[in-house]
Amino acid sequence: MISFPLLSAIVFWPLAGGLFVLAFWRYPQVGHRIALGAASVELLLVVSLLLLDLHPQGADGWLMIEDLPWIAQYGVRYSLGLDGISLILLCLTALLGVIAILASWEQISQRPGVFYFMLLFTQSAVMGVFLATDLFLFYLFWEMQLIPMLFLVGIWGHEKRIYAALKFFLFNIAGGLLMLAALIGLYLLHGRQTGDYSFALSQLMQTRPAPVLEMWLYGAFLLAFAIKIPIFPLHGWLPDAHTEAPTAGSIILAGLLLKTGAYALLRIAIPLFPGAAHRLMPLLLILGLVGIVYASLVALGQKDMKRLVAYSSIGHMGLIVLGLAVWDSLTLSGAVLQMVNHGITTAALFIMVGMLDERFHTRTLADFGGLWKSMPIFSAFFLLFAMASLGMPGLNNFVSEFLILVGVFRAHPVIGSLAFTTIVLTLIYVLKLVQDTLFGPEKQQHCRDLSFREWIILLTLALAVIANGLYPQPILTLVHGPVQHLIDQAGIITLPEAGSMMAK
Amino acid sequence: MQTEWLALLPLIILAAGGSVIFGIGAFWHQVPTALLFGLAVFTCLASGGTALLFPNVASNLSGLLAMDAYSSFYTVLFTIITLITLLLSYQYARQRAFAGDEFLGIILFASAGMVLIAASCHWLFFFLGLEMVSISLYVLIAIRRGDGPGIEAALKYFVMGAVASAFVVFGIAMLYGATGTLVIMKSLDLAGHPDNRFLLLFGLSLILVGLCFKISLVPFHLWTPDVYQGAPAPITAFLATGTKVALLSMFVRLALYGGDGAGALFAPALWTMASLTMVVGNITALAQTRVKRLLAYSSIAQMGYMMMALLAFKHTGVAAVIFYSVVYAFMDLGAFGTVGLLSPKESDRDVIADYQGLGYAQPGKAALLTLCLFSLAGLPATAGFIGKFMLFRAALEANLVGLALIGILTAIISLYFYLNIVVVLYMRPAEKKPTSAITGNEASLACFLIALIIFWLGLFPSSILSLIEKIVA
Repeated sequence: MISFPLLSAIVFWPLAGGLFVLAFWRYPQVGHRIALGAASVELLLVVSLLLLDLHPQGADGWLMIEDLPWIAQYGVRYSLGLDGISLILLCLTALLGVIAILASWEQISQRPGVFYFMLLFTQSAVMGVFLATDLFLFYLFWEMQLIPMLFLVGIWGHEKRIYAALKFFLFNIAGGLLMLAALIGLYLLHGRQTGDYSFALSQLMQTRPAPVLEMWLYGAFLLAFAIKIPIFPLHGWLPDAHTEAPTAGSIILAGLLLKTGAYALLRIAIPLFPGAAHRLMPLLLILGLVGIVYASLVALGQKDMKRLVAYSSIGHMGLIVLGLAVWDSLTLSGAVLQMVNHGITTAALFIMVGMLDERFHTRTLADFGGLWKSMPIFSAFFLLFAMASLGMPGLNNFVSEFLILVGVFRAHPVIGSLAFTTIVLTLIYVLKLVQDTLFGPEKQQHCRDLSFREWIILLTLALAVIANGLYPQPILTLVHGPVQHLIDQAGIITLPEAGSMMAK
Repeated sequence: MQTEWLALLPLIILAAGGSVIFGIGAFWHQVPTALLFGLAVFTCLASGGTALLFPNVASNLSGLLAMDAYSSFYTVLFTIITLITLLLSYQYARQRAFAGDEFLGIILFASAGMVLIAASCHWLFFFLGLEMVSISLYVLIAIRRGDGPGIEAALKYFVMGAVASAFVVFGIAMLYGATGTLVIMKSLDLAGHPDNRFLLLFGLSLILVGLCFKISLVPFHLWTPDVYQGAPAPITAFLATGTKVALLSMFVRLALYGGDGAGALFAPALWTMASLTMVVGNITALAQTRVKRLLAYSSIAQMGYMMMALLAFKHTGVAAVIFYSVVYAFMDLGAFGTVGLLSPKESDRDVIADYQGLGYAQPGKAALLTLCLFSLAGLPATAGFIGKFMLFRAALEANLVGLALIGILTAIISLYFYLNIVVVLYMRPAEKKPTSAITGNEASLACFLIALIIFWLGLFPSSILSLIEKIVA
């Protein structure tokens, strides 16, 4: 074991940096730099995990764990665990943390110190969600993400920001509190069955509630996570939150917060209640599919570019839900990869819409056209990310979407075929977005192309897009072991059985 | 004999401190307020300190008072509540010209009354404590001379308080008639007095009505918003925390002594009241446009949550209620206290819209208010979260699933009005820069203490939890 608590450092470093920024709230220029410094150090910490030669240890296959007693009376422990899935999501979180700060460099002029504190605070909470293996601790981080996000949207957002912030918060906390009730129920049940009151994920997984109760408990967990992902029809908060949030808020929301929902479903809800999960898998499949179709159709009708990207984001998350619902190693690897890819691609699109908003103070599609003439470099990047988003081979989303779709097809040919056709819908709205903004007659005044800072942001993301598109193998290797482990844990859900469920 | 004096020392110090302050005030007309204030603070520290130093020296003084670990715990809590009230209200009272000997002395008497309630194991002593607290508060609420709303509030509290006391006294008389004893534990012995079963239950129900008035459970809550709104904010803080925590300590005692026998018969009634309190408190709070009224309804709702856990007294309910009363005390001290600190001199800042922009004009106090609201809402990393977790855990453990679900659903509703204040503080720009009175270092110290305690209980509750486990064992 390594004596330095690296995982705790990764979780709490952004918060510490944020507090430091807050201390300099009178000096905005210094605040920017400290925040960027803090986020960069965080990125280094996470990268150092990649460089360490880590091997799975113990029965649960964690690469690294930290475990300390916390509230002994209630069997609550402070325990963090790292495996391939969390590692890759940590990388995404740390990268987007830096990107979010760079993207707000000029947009945020009002109280930047507090802004960066909130941004870094969210990052800490998200890191915690990805690492916690004690469900009490997990719940703490899970709810904690909401608080800074409430302020990010509510203070620095656009016109309807307060409505959007409250809606976001209330939707999510409602799910969260019901999950808390279910969590306490599960904890008491486990305690009664074994005499050992514990919140450890590995312990609670041994509990086998009666089928009806299991259904209720799983329902509560599923509800909380489905709101966050969001799974249709619980997505109502997301378009508003995205539309009103500042660019950095959208990056964090789409890139990280939605991922925590999918991650929690994968890591916690389904392994805790495999029986109930198995019975509800058809529901997830249907909702995932309907979500993709619905989000794509609605995206087609959007006039606001940011709203369009937001709906596209719901569609992509629907694909992840499909991947989770099939629950085999192909689709799960695809789903995890899709989390990363969606994070990068959607963040890039939100950033680019934000850049347009900064320049022209509008996001309405009808106000744009012919950008290629005035801003060729911007347009090239925009085209790249749009192509990535619609799943162009050679770019990142293609790989993950292909993995998921093939897996879904193998298990449920009908659903798979339907899902394939939805790609066409994606194609339509993304092409519409590209055509309306980049081509056609020029509708705005001439404007400067990318600044150096914007170059850096987009180049980094573009490299990630291409690298993941051409050579996803490192991530897939990293994810393979943990995915297999998850499947073994929740062993009830096997392929033929799931298939027969659908046949009925 | 000596140990009995030692056990009574915290109580004696509080009473003596109050009397000395009164005495000085009576004979020294131009007495510097700072001296009296210092004396009051010293009294609190000394009383709390002795309770800390000599816990459970004597467990039962002639069957009247139990100065045991349980009451020592509460003594320390009450002295801290009083101390923080003093710190919060010092400058507030000076600017509004009521920081004299009456104010400081009476606060100490009220605090002595609270200790009496927590320590009493004899109905007469309980009643003595109850009246000491109530009468002190009648005066405190109206202490700002010429302040119409304050006097109105005091009158309302007086009328309601008198009715409640009447219920309690009458109930005590019935119990005495039924069982021939005023010792609380013996008087609840239903099995021992089969002939007087009805009389006993009737008396107990009267007492419970009186107590429910005092902790404002629905449907006995109607006085609360008016009184909380009318009283000066730091006094409201003291009223909302001190009296309620004291009476909750009595409820816990009753549940421990008589919960199985006589108390079990009241469980359905308490179940109904707990659920009504959570529902009515939280939903009515949604409609409020004034901060103190909103906080009043919130404090009503909090009582509902605690009643829920009290019904689970056979499981971990008792520990949960005690822990949550500590948490509740500091959250509400902070919430009402900051309302006082953010107020201009003329009258308390009450309309929610008047809080616009205060998040930036008064960052420290607004941050504490936000923290307290988050804690009241039960958001993580605050004491309120751990407290709510314990309450719900106890309720689910006792299979009170329906009550727990009502609690969860109303907690979701409650988030809206708590957040609404936060929204006004930070997210709506102010039209003009709001002005507040100067509040002084004492208040800043109090704010710091409250924030520290809320985070400490929220992040590292282990130490206090083991303490609570020890005293209820």
